Amino acid sequence: MNSTRAVGGTRVRLAMTPMIDVVFLLLVFFVCTVRFERNEAVYTLDLPQRGRTADPLALQERALVIRIGARASDAVPIDVQADGLRERLGSFDALAAALMRVRRGDAADGNNAGLFVADHPVLITPTSDCGWQDAVDAFNAAVRAGFRNIGFARSGA
Amino acid sequence: MRQALVRISRIDADLTPLIDLAFLLIVFFVLVARMSGEQLPAIPLPQPNAVAATPAGTARRLAVNVLAEDGGAVLMLGGERFAADSSGLDRLASAIARRLRSDPTVPVDIRADRSLAYRFVEPAIHAITAAGTQAGARVTIRVCALQAEGGKP
Repeated sequence: MNSTRAVGGTRVRLAMTPMIDVVFLLLVFFVCTVRFERNEAVYTLDLPQRGRTADPLALQERALVIRIGARASDAVPIDVQADGLRERLGSFDALAAALMRVRRGDAADGNNAGLFVADHPVLITPTSDCGWQDAVDAFNAAVRAGFRNIGFARSGA
Repeated sequence: MRQALVRISRIDADLTPLIDLAFLLIVFFVLVARMSGEQLPAIPLPQPNAVAATPAGTARRLAVNVLAEDGGAVLMLGGERFAADSSGLDRLASAIARRLRSDPTVPVDIRADRSLAYRFVEPAIHAITAAGTQAGARVTIRVCALQAEGGKP
């Protein structure tokens, strides 16, 4: 390869080897840094903090329990149980809507009639043969409804 | 009168080897950082319809991977594999506790195959909780899911 050319009477010498060297290094660098993973999202689990309540006379809050059964064909049995509430639902969108109805909002969102504040504990209780996808779907529905203290219970608890 | 001799010398700074070396160093550090970080195997994570979770980001995290294998599950922390029996779970809890002792603030993520039943993932949650107790740290457990293409719907 001719790397020497005459330009206006002067000879310009192009050193190709270091150039290719740097180009390959750039290539290796981008190959190493590129990520083909899809976006991952995370839900933070709520774990009980022992001795958190300073007031020993404070009432223990009964959790809002969401029981998820094993998927039969296309339907998942979802039961929502809490004080003054017992509902059976057939989809996670319906679960999110039901949880939104019972969550007490602030003055801004207008739902002051809800039974439970956003910090009320929500316990997802999947059966042992319930799919992980369905358990996470239930968790997602509770997050969508605006609840903040959500945890998983022992299976079948 | 003596004529002063002025010697003109040219200093040519050849930047190519310098850039070459700089890139080599960058590549080296990128590779070392990746090797020392927690490994994240490709797992079909759960993908809820309208994801309301927060992006995992690039901050340091411990990932407990729960992989479907031979009709059961295998747990992984970094490159280390743990059986889903009681001794394997004890070893997993000890391994997480060791890491939590060096950095108690690091969150522990559960990356589980969406095709698994809950009973295969549940032991991982208990192992992480046990690790937090062993390390005397308030451990932050997070569940990983896949975000829909293009962010939150």
